[in-house]
Amino acid sequence: MTRGNIFLSAVLWSIIALFVIYPLSILLVESFKIAGTDTWGISNYLEFFQDAYYLKTFGNTLLLSTLVLLTTTIFGIPLSYILARYRQRGKTVFTALILLPIVLPAYAGVFAFIIFLGRFGTVNLLLTGTGLINEPINFIYGLHGLVFIQALHMLPFIVLSLSAGFTDIDPCFEEAAEVEGASGFWRFLTVTLPLCTPTYLAGAVIVFLWPFTDWLTPLILGQVDFLPSVAYINIAYHFTDLHRKYMGIVAVVVSSIVCILLFLLARWWVERKKYTGLSKGTTSEGRVIEPGPVVKVGSYVYMGFIAALVLLIPIVLGLAAFSRRWVLEPFPTYWTLENFRVILLETPHLIKNSFVFSGLALLFGITFGLPAAYLIVRTRVPGRNALDFVITLMLAFPGMAVGVSYLLGFWQTIPLARYWIIMALALFARRLPYFLRMAHASYLQLDISLEEASEVSGAGKIRTFFNISLPLLLKGVLVGVVMFFIMAFQEISTAIFLYRGGWETLPIGIYLNWHRGMEFGIAAAMAFLMIVITFILLLIISRISGGVLKAAWGPGGT
Amino acid sequence: MAFIEIKNLFKRFKKVVAVNHIELEVNEGEMLTLLGPSGCGKTTTLRCIAGLEKPEEGDIIIDGKPMLSQGFVEPSKRGIGMVFQNYAVWPHMKVYKNVVYGLKIQKIPKKNIKERAQQVLELVGLDGLEERYPGQLSGGQQQRVALARALVGNPKVLLLDEPLSNLDAKLREELRFEIKSLVRRMDITSVYVTHDQAEAMVISDRIAVMDSGNVVQIGTPQEIYDKPANRFVADFIGTMNFMAGEVIQVLQDTEAVYVRTEFSDKMLCKTPSITATARGEDVFASIRPEDVEVFAEPPQDKENLFKGTIAHKAYLGNFLYFFVSVNGTMIRVQAPHNLPREEGDEIYLFLNPEKCMILV
Repeated sequence: MTRGNIFLSAVLWSIIALFVIYPLSILLVESFKIAGTDTWGISNYLEFFQDAYYLKTFGNTLLLSTLVLLTTTIFGIPLSYILARYRQRGKTVFTALILLPIVLPAYAGVFAFIIFLGRFGTVNLLLTGTGLINEPINFIYGLHGLVFIQALHMLPFIVLSLSAGFTDIDPCFEEAAEVEGASGFWRFLTVTLPLCTPTYLAGAVIVFLWPFTDWLTPLILGQVDFLPSVAYINIAYHFTDLHRKYMGIVAVVVSSIVCILLFLLARWWVERKKYTGLSKGTTSEGRVIEPGPVVKVGSYVYMGFIAALVLLIPIVLGLAAFSRRWVLEPFPTYWTLENFRVILLETPHLIKNSFVFSGLALLFGITFGLPAAYLIVRTRVPGRNALDFVITLMLAFPGMAVGVSYLLGFWQTIPLARYWIIMALALFARRLPYFLRMAHASYLQLDISLEEASEVSGAGKIRTFFNISLPLLLKGVLVGVVMFFIMAFQEISTAIFLYRGGWETLPIGIYLNWHRGMEFGIAAAMAFLMIVITFILLLIISRISGGVLKAAWGPGGT
Repeated sequence: MAFIEIKNLFKRFKKVVAVNHIELEVNEGEMLTLLGPSGCGKTTTLRCIAGLEKPEEGDIIIDGKPMLSQGFVEPSKRGIGMVFQNYAVWPHMKVYKNVVYGLKIQKIPKKNIKERAQQVLELVGLDGLEERYPGQLSGGQQQRVALARALVGNPKVLLLDEPLSNLDAKLREELRFEIKSLVRRMDITSVYVTHDQAEAMVISDRIAVMDSGNVVQIGTPQEIYDKPANRFVADFIGTMNFMAGEVIQVLQDTEAVYVRTEFSDKMLCKTPSITATARGEDVFASIRPEDVEVFAEPPQDKENLFKGTIAHKAYLGNFLYFFVSVNGTMIRVQAPHNLPREEGDEIYLFLNPEKCMILV
């Protein structure tokens, strides 16, 4: 049987080599090319780190990352504490709402807040209308707006990781502090919070890396001096100027390296500092507190505030989707289904493409992911850990890096990019870890003796897999399937570099319609449609896994 | 007056009653053990003393101060030290920081803190490991850190919640004696929770046996072993043969009782039940395996002498352990290791009336 495993390992590795390692190394190679010559060298990098402008974008991105992390942390600590520790009615609903941004595409949030908080958005129009202010307030254009929108989008990761920490640490640690005389806040500061640092860090790194990945939000808000946005502009707008193109690629590589390094650093740190499992067996069910009336009301107000901000996104987009000519009015006045008519009748291929590409990517994902999970969890084939490592690393890679590398790698030598299948392949490569991790996790929970019993009874490995393992894994795998589909469905960073006429997906449609200016009704309707589809998929997951909370699992992004 | 008084304590979780109106006193300087099977309410009682649970009714008085009836006293204000089942040694702090955590909160001068910590670390045998993280220590060492942390503040009361249950058997036995002598030397009033009867016997001055939220019996280890209050206590502590039967005669002057059992018409039990028994009552005639005398040949005429067949035999080194079938009733006995009898052989059991007790 080992021979079969080695063969399987070889097949999986060659797929990874072709669709992950090859294009990414081409990306790296291209970044060393010198424009106008046939030579190579590090001059692009030297220029990048000497040029005041590129250094500024690098600094800006670091600043933005820090601010986003700070904001999410400051707002996230009380929020997670409330959600994890207080006994309150309606907690599930609030949790679901607060975690919602994970599955909402980032661009949906940007559009909604431009409509609501823009210079001539609802709030400013209402305020000037009542005469409270004369000049519209600049809510979102600028660093503060970026921080606000990105922080809201990334808040769920902090909340998820911190509340996991607050729930999982053994209650006796805090009880011991209580008995030792530490009361309330001091106990929280000296025991609870430090014990949560490993889980917090796991979420914090994802938040911190987001500004190194998200090119679209700054671009839409007119703030282009950030690393990913500059890279996008250099590559997508100035592809004829070879030098700028190479500098764009350098920017992508630099972002990727920062992402990978921080991701690995955080992983290493978390592994080293893991506090859970240090004490054996928890006696009680975690610490759930009945808050006093003042705290209770306060926490409801707080949760409500955040939930309302999140809810604004689908509401505002919904309003825009069902109206036209919503300009210079606080609320739309002309209601119509025209936007949906255009989407469904004039450009039905967008929806079709989205489903076809994501569906195919999913198919690839399952065909690759299940054997990969089997190989990693159940066998001792050499290189299985490396396989796991490479796939997990894809979590940290910016979508743009995948898109650009596919464009470079599959154009001439392997001309896959001339066929539409490249869209599905790119989505597959980009979203692979989501599926694999779910399959992996459920595989770990599956008692190996169940499989061994089948083999002892005379069934071969393959028959055992289909008769015993797969049915038992199905629940976890199905959640992974839906999550993968949601993430692939929203994907824009990779697809934007690869699409050609007729291959547009819904997210690309949203972007193009927004770009055209006056068509934001259609863009909003498309975004609204995506939210609805995502919602239906989420409902399906919560049916499978029994909880909206678990349904919102996993890190996401564009 | 007792140092800790528990009065009419009642605690429930939703519908499950954990502690059912118990009364308990702990004398100054003594080590009292709450012993019972899991779910009997022993840990809940301990956590109520610590203030980690709020009981619905009753009061706990520590050193003359009520903890509940005059407003709830927070755990941090009770002046107790506690050792947890899972050690609860904070993994993000070094050993030294763990130990002095409470002292720092009390704002004790730095010099005194250091002295005190040094003393206590020496006492538990951890000196030299101050700069280690708990993750670098063995389970036994972690438990010593927990002990040092509980003792360092000179608490009025020391509470120990199954402190040894996570350690391996050998270490557990060693630490039992260590904790006992340590606590005795420091003369701290302590309450110890365990489900391990052997541990309770070794460590306690007195044992309170608990069953489904009630205190069934309180007494020294010897009292509990020799005169169990009922069948539950006798069964939980040590091994006991229970022979169901009916009281047929009570001898007025000695309170000795004749019982009819399944295997004999008349069996004499000279240790009466704590609750008085009357004729016709269903009881258990009980005797411990080590109190049964075994004979290969029938001895001189004796009362309570029964013939049986060896059903199982086990060689346990210093003695033999038999399951003997007496007319279908299984009686466990301990026999000298050189008794030349095998499974299937006949054997004579003398159930000494002095050692036979009546339990309900």
